[in-house]
Amino acid sequence: MKYSWNYHNKPDKRIMLETENIYRPIRATVEEVIDESPLIKSFVLIPETEFHFKTGEFIELTIDGYGEAPFTPSSSPLESHKIEVTVMKAGYVTEKIHALMKGDLVGIRGPFGRGYPLDRFYGHEVLILGGGCGFAPIRSLLFNLMAEKEKFIKVILCYGAKSPEDCIYKPFVDQLRKVEKFEVYRSVDKADATWSEKEGVVTKLLDDIRIDVQQSVAIVCGPPVMMKYGTFRLLEMGYPASDIYLSMEKNMSCGMGKCGHCMMGKYYVCKDGPVFTYEEIKEQPDIWV
Amino acid sequence: MSEVFQISLSDWHFFLEKLAVEWDVFVPVKINQFIDYKLYNSNYPIQYNQPLPVTPLKTFFLPFQENVVFSRSFHNKKLIVGVPSCDLQALNLLDEIYLEETSPDPIYRKNRENTVLIGTDCHTIRTSCHCMSYGIEPFPTANADLNLVSLNDSILLTVYTSKGEALIKQYPEYFKNVLPDKEKLELAENRRSATLRMLEEQNPDLPDYSTTGDLVLHAGEEIWQKYARTCVSCGACATICPTCTCFLLIDRPDFEKVRQVDACQYPGFEKIAAGEDPLHRKSVRFKNRYLCKYVWKPERFKSIACTGCGRCIDGCIGKINKNEIFLELSQQA
Repeated sequence: MKYSWNYHNKPDKRIMLETENIYRPIRATVEEVIDESPLIKSFVLIPETEFHFKTGEFIELTIDGYGEAPFTPSSSPLESHKIEVTVMKAGYVTEKIHALMKGDLVGIRGPFGRGYPLDRFYGHEVLILGGGCGFAPIRSLLFNLMAEKEKFIKVILCYGAKSPEDCIYKPFVDQLRKVEKFEVYRSVDKADATWSEKEGVVTKLLDDIRIDVQQSVAIVCGPPVMMKYGTFRLLEMGYPASDIYLSMEKNMSCGMGKCGHCMMGKYYVCKDGPVFTYEEIKEQPDIWV
Repeated sequence: MSEVFQISLSDWHFFLEKLAVEWDVFVPVKINQFIDYKLYNSNYPIQYNQPLPVTPLKTFFLPFQENVVFSRSFHNKKLIVGVPSCDLQALNLLDEIYLEETSPDPIYRKNRENTVLIGTDCHTIRTSCHCMSYGIEPFPTANADLNLVSLNDSILLTVYTSKGEALIKQYPEYFKNVLPDKEKLELAENRRSATLRMLEEQNPDLPDYSTTGDLVLHAGEEIWQKYARTCVSCGACATICPTCTCFLLIDRPDFEKVRQVDACQYPGFEKIAAGEDPLHRKSVRFKNRYLCKYVWKPERFKSIACTGCGRCIDGCIGKINKNEIFLELSQQA
């Protein structure tokens, strides 16, 4: 008999529970790590099988044996062999994610939730308000909008960050500026000598843009305080609450409306969102945390 | 399908003993002053028609901890004897959450399929029992496969579902020619109405489930602060509740995941990575549980999220009685 390292010398009795198990992640390999800003990194992942998602839906990224956290992919939903997530170092799991290197193995569950309803944007001007790491879901959406740009009148991106070095996706922004029908405006809270664009909070950018409010929809994604005042500013501009699309952030864990951690009133953000119109959630408690 | 079998108590135990060879048979047993489910053993003092096992029924389908990616144990067939009506009703909500069409939970489904439930009529009540106030009768009307009533030295077994019938048919030697006596059936009916009367007398002023939501929604902050004063965030009310099923996913090496009971009463339940925590304050967490049960769940689901079992009242070490809160709220209104 072959000597076994198994202490109890018993066969491994584990039984895998059903192949279509909603709790089991698929494996993915880290292909590339991109430094976006001092606190933000992007990770290009190659999943073991094709992975399809719609823009705005999110995944749970598992660090083996450590924990998992929800992220909306920042890559194009039209690609299925590779997926990119942009992660800000903020807590327990994200710190571990930042330590990932090329070739490391991670787990992916999903996609979960309800993403952006693209068909509702067709024929409209699209105003996108993004802040900090909230650019991630927006970039995925922009890839989608670029691929179907004939269906939109124009797309305006207003992006804000704390400082010039906190601005992420610089090459992507340069590329986007060259695309017909797409306008990009950026601001930073505190500018330095290198900055030639606007200084001030992101909502200041809304003073400069030319948009037909009646003909447009607005999308907001960013840190809670920016979402709150961004939404209020849009309401002032005359957007109806049903035309403001928000990407909500809660403590999503299971991804299927079961574990209860992301409850926002009667909604499970993981299942009914993360994208909501302001109309849907304005009566719910603690939406801005 | 409401065939009724009458069988003597000793034959019934004979049957359970036989079944316990292959099945996990759980019976309600009195331990000190409490009743709880135990794996069948003929030496145990089994309690029929008594409320209320300490362990809620949900624990059989959503155990305290369970590996949801790999299983190290075979899922045995289970027979659970003596489940009260309130716990059976709670399964409606669990099924709505865990078996919904878009993403049914495979482990919950397996646990549910492997289990035969024998409900029981309650012939006594405890001081915290208030199922009637929420429209639930103290005898099984849903989710039981069989119903058991123990009268003197005999057992009346009513077939509710085909699953229950199949179990009886599998062991015909125990259930042959056992049509019930008329007086036994009448006695069972009388006991039912007696329990109904006791419950009505016990909770005459308690607001019903159609009004509790409004009371919670319009209650001032001071009432939550007042009642949360003795709360120690132990989470007993949620872990012991038959309809509370929030959980934590814990990662284990090799991409395994363990599902463990969690409660919104624990600090940090809704905390996100950036540090924001809507449930940071204890009184807000305390209120959250009431909002969830009486406002949000009713808005979202067909099934009720409080079945009036009263476990949260008995289990609270801060001696917080939710019925007192509702009585106070209804007097204010």
